[in-house]
Amino acid sequence: MTTGSSQLAIPLHVSYIKSLGDNKDDLAYHLTAHLRMNAIYWGLTALCIMRHKEALPRDETIEFVMSCWDDEAGAFGAHPDHDAHLHSTLSAIQILLMHDALDRIDIPRVVKFILSLHQPSGVFAGDSFGEIDTRFLYCAVSALSLLGQLHLLDGEAKDRTVNYIVRCRNFDGGFGNVIGAESHAAQAALAIFDRLDVIDEETLGWWLCERQLPNGGLNGRPEKLEDVCYSFWVLSAMAILDKIPWIDADKLTAFILSAQDLEAGGIADRPGDMADVFHTLFGVAGLSLLGYPGLQDLDPVYCMPADLIEKMGLRKPWNALKRKTA
Amino acid sequence: MPALSSSSKSSDKELPLYSERPEWSDVTPLAQYEDANPIAPIFYSAEYKDATDYFRGIVKTGEKSQRVLELTETIIRLNPAHYSAWQYRYETILALNAPLDVELKLMDELAVAFLKTYQVWHHRRLLLMLTRNPAPELKFIAESLKADVKNYHTWSYRQWLLAYFNDEDLWSGELDFVEAMIVHDVRNNSAWHHRFFVVFQSGIREEETDRARIIRRELTFVKENISSAANNPSAWNYLRGILDINSLPYSRVEDFVRLYVGTSDDAVRDVVDLENPPPAKGAELPCPAAIEFLADIHEKEGRIFQATELWRSMADEHDTIRKKYWEFRIREGLKSVKK
Repeated sequence: MTTGSSQLAIPLHVSYIKSLGDNKDDLAYHLTAHLRMNAIYWGLTALCIMRHKEALPRDETIEFVMSCWDDEAGAFGAHPDHDAHLHSTLSAIQILLMHDALDRIDIPRVVKFILSLHQPSGVFAGDSFGEIDTRFLYCAVSALSLLGQLHLLDGEAKDRTVNYIVRCRNFDGGFGNVIGAESHAAQAALAIFDRLDVIDEETLGWWLCERQLPNGGLNGRPEKLEDVCYSFWVLSAMAILDKIPWIDADKLTAFILSAQDLEAGGIADRPGDMADVFHTLFGVAGLSLLGYPGLQDLDPVYCMPADLIEKMGLRKPWNALKRKTA
Repeated sequence: MPALSSSSKSSDKELPLYSERPEWSDVTPLAQYEDANPIAPIFYSAEYKDATDYFRGIVKTGEKSQRVLELTETIIRLNPAHYSAWQYRYETILALNAPLDVELKLMDELAVAFLKTYQVWHHRRLLLMLTRNPAPELKFIAESLKADVKNYHTWSYRQWLLAYFNDEDLWSGELDFVEAMIVHDVRNNSAWHHRFFVVFQSGIREEETDRARIIRRELTFVKENISSAANNPSAWNYLRGILDINSLPYSRVEDFVRLYVGTSDDAVRDVVDLENPPPAKGAELPCPAAIEFLADIHEKEGRIFQATELWRSMADEHDTIRKKYWEFRIREGLKSVKK
């Protein structure tokens, strides 16, 4: 049960993440096998932002990532023996980058896998089962960029991809995850492509800042509940548009902190609910973008440590709030 | 969450493990590959481990048979997100030419339990592309929405169905359907979004060629709904949407909007003005969305100072959480005057 606070309980959250691998007694654990790779990415990134990267052992992590290699498809699944998926492939790349182990990847094969999921309409499927979603488009573009291979998506292919996103724009100024779908927070691929020119930044900024509710939290669509994860999804988009000031930062910070579990550690979707590693990352990520003291800078385009992205020469224009001193 | 059996020793377990069933003895189960010491080891219930071991076994041999349908169903019930099991099941259905109506009935049952799982809906899509019988789906989707009225996958699936088959009969009841959803919950953003799709973004159908009539109808509809629940962002977004997509000036609804900017709900009611239904008694006024709308009207008509006055009131009083946004609007407005 979450009990809130006015401070981020970093040591507690670090040990929470460390202990995730110990959860052998949790029956529901096996049901999340399809998320295992992503869970490790969420945990590791949160640790990096909290300046405790060493809390998860490097070699073990890398070995686990490599054990998820689907040699038939030439990419990564979420867990050993799971079919390759775009989302887990992105998470694998991100984890290996954070551990400076990208050389373990067969890059040409992974690139082939990613490009094979590109649809004629411009969107990407997540896997051979065929689910399409602009979130997979983001995964593909981000993965290619992190591998230094974004140039392979050029000319007509790039235009087609950008165009798909444009066609997802709705009458309220927001974007859906497929053409025609309801506006939902969470879209960042255009920044990687340097194609923010195709959006009306003010209208989108307005739609995004309208996600803030009186309690300070952000929701994902009108008339839905606030959720800590939108502290990242909405905030990262606003950072890219340089409009974080349009949000009441103090209220959002207080909301995120109130969703902490100060007994077992971790952050939940909202105060009173159970914590999980997904919301722990996005709560910490949101706080980093809001300038919370003591945290590392987070790159909102890639949701990875900013210094790493900068070192790779991938930094795009974005603006977070200035880091406060404690 | 699907039901789980906690141990293979429990006496109330109905079915024996696959490893205990003689009719499966010809299959070599393959254990999960776990070479390195995984940082995030899985704890499997014996039942799930058993079923997935046998699944790996038949995938290896490429078996496509009736018992594979049973096996994949077992796995799906334990873990609806196991997309490999779904995929293999679909391929097996094709290979066996299995009866699709039976499969759909099973999906009806699983959809109820696993509403938020994408795979259930995607599998349904694939089946519909084979059966080519979309009409009963509309009722199914409506029932499904009762459990979760804003389910993103469900609404997306309905949209896909309508657009993919694009059948006049399918469309004919849609306006009534979405209206009923809005009546049920006027704040359901998914329903408003769907209405916009049906009316303005899915082509023009037989009885809808008189666009002026359609626009009037929609304006009346949204205004009535704003009248009964003024502080509803979905409805105000919808109003903007109607005007934007038809390139109509916002000033067209100025008289209506003004009714929601005042503080009193004692609008003159002796004359029934269908064009301008006033706020319901007890409405929370002024309505910030209306102030915002009126400011936009002023701005578009060149009345910048009146607009900035309203934006000031939003920043200071009616929408203080977005103070910085309203101050941005004021700055931009004043900039445009200086030009």
